[in-house]
Amino acid sequence: MILLVDPHSGIPVYRQIVEQIRFGVASGLLEPGEEIPSTRALSAKLGVNPMTVSKAFGLLEEDGVLERRPGRPHVVRERRSGSIRATRLEQLERALRPVVTKTRQLDLEPDTAVQMFRRLLEDEKR
Amino acid sequence: MEFVFETNGLTKCFDTVTALDSVDLRVRRPTIVGLLGKNGSGKTTLIQHLMGLQLPGEGSVTTLGRPSSELGHDELIHIGYVPQEIRLLDWMTVEQHLHYVSCFYPAWDREREQRLLDELELDVSRSVGALSTGNLQKLAIILAVCHHPRLLVLDEPVSDLDPIVRAKLLEFLLELLREDEATILVSSHVLRDVEKIVDWVICLDDGHVVTDAALDELKELYSEWRVVSINGDLPERFSEPFVISQEISGREACLLIKEGAAEIDAFRNAHGVDVTGRPLNLEEMFPVLVDTRSS
Repeated sequence: MILLVDPHSGIPVYRQIVEQIRFGVASGLLEPGEEIPSTRALSAKLGVNPMTVSKAFGLLEEDGVLERRPGRPHVVRERRSGSIRATRLEQLERALRPVVTKTRQLDLEPDTAVQMFRRLLEDEKR
Repeated sequence: MEFVFETNGLTKCFDTVTALDSVDLRVRRPTIVGLLGKNGSGKTTLIQHLMGLQLPGEGSVTTLGRPSSELGHDELIHIGYVPQEIRLLDWMTVEQHLHYVSCFYPAWDREREQRLLDELELDVSRSVGALSTGNLQKLAIILAVCHHPRLLVLDEPVSDLDPIVRAKLLEFLLELLREDEATILVSSHVLRDVEKIVDWVICLDDGHVVTDAALDELKELYSEWRVVSINGDLPERFSEPFVISQEISGREACLLIKEGAAEIDAFRNAHGVDVTGRPLNLEEMFPVLVDTRSS
């Protein structure tokens, strides 16, 4: 999986890494058992402080997304299918929040917004 | 040795000017520290104290476990220093200068020297006196890192380098942290460069330490909120303590927030407004950091 971070965004780089790996796991881009690059390798690749990478890995471990193996790179943890679905829904909800705010600011009715969302989803399918 | 460097109540006056005022700093583990501040804020004076080039008026400075005024062979072989004003021996060639300096350090790494000369594209046959400011800076950096320093201090190291060389240098500093577990203190005005590699920020203003914190913590501390009222005008002023500055115009406002990220939902409901929050990067945060004391 290719990680891209923007060190000049106000979002701490460790959080950008956490979000992208979470998304990778939720979307199936990263499969259970798959090896994640080591802290050193990833820090060199992204050009960021190794402390930043190990902080991200630490959080992902706590969340049960990654599994630590002594002396070897982390792997993606096996997960129950229920929890994968929950993560997917969580990701979608977060992405939709700003859209909800915009809808309100534009003073549009919820029904209209939902219809538009449905239409866009169907357009994508074609 | 508990701290890589440490200052306790460090105060320094030049005539009537207080350059450093009760500076307390402790840097413990291998890390890259960004030393920030406006011109004349005391950055260079602090660095000169750490290197034993200035004596404290009051207080104390310890570098690699020793009072910095007493640094000797055992410490100096582990320190690399690139001062702001680089003074080298003009009459030598680059090659001669490298050889001359390498004689002082038992751990001089020829391979690293060669690799840096290649990567930074510095011609060893040139005379030092004829080097451009940028090339002189490159040479000073190479001279400061080939002995695998445990502490590397760089005072405005990148100001005269082009973007490509700067990027290579930043990458190399990260390598020093990974491979040598060096502690690196870098003072710079180029906040975009600093932001990429540092994990700790020390900010001086008028000789005082105004910030001494992890970069990630700072990024989580400050944010900007765009506020739009859903119905009617906004109040004339928001009085929440976490709003540190505000610009209100009719139904819209732009607020600078400190330690208020968790309050966003409560704020939304209390005022009947839509709020879009955005964290600040280092460049945007800098004016706020150096302004906290006066406000």
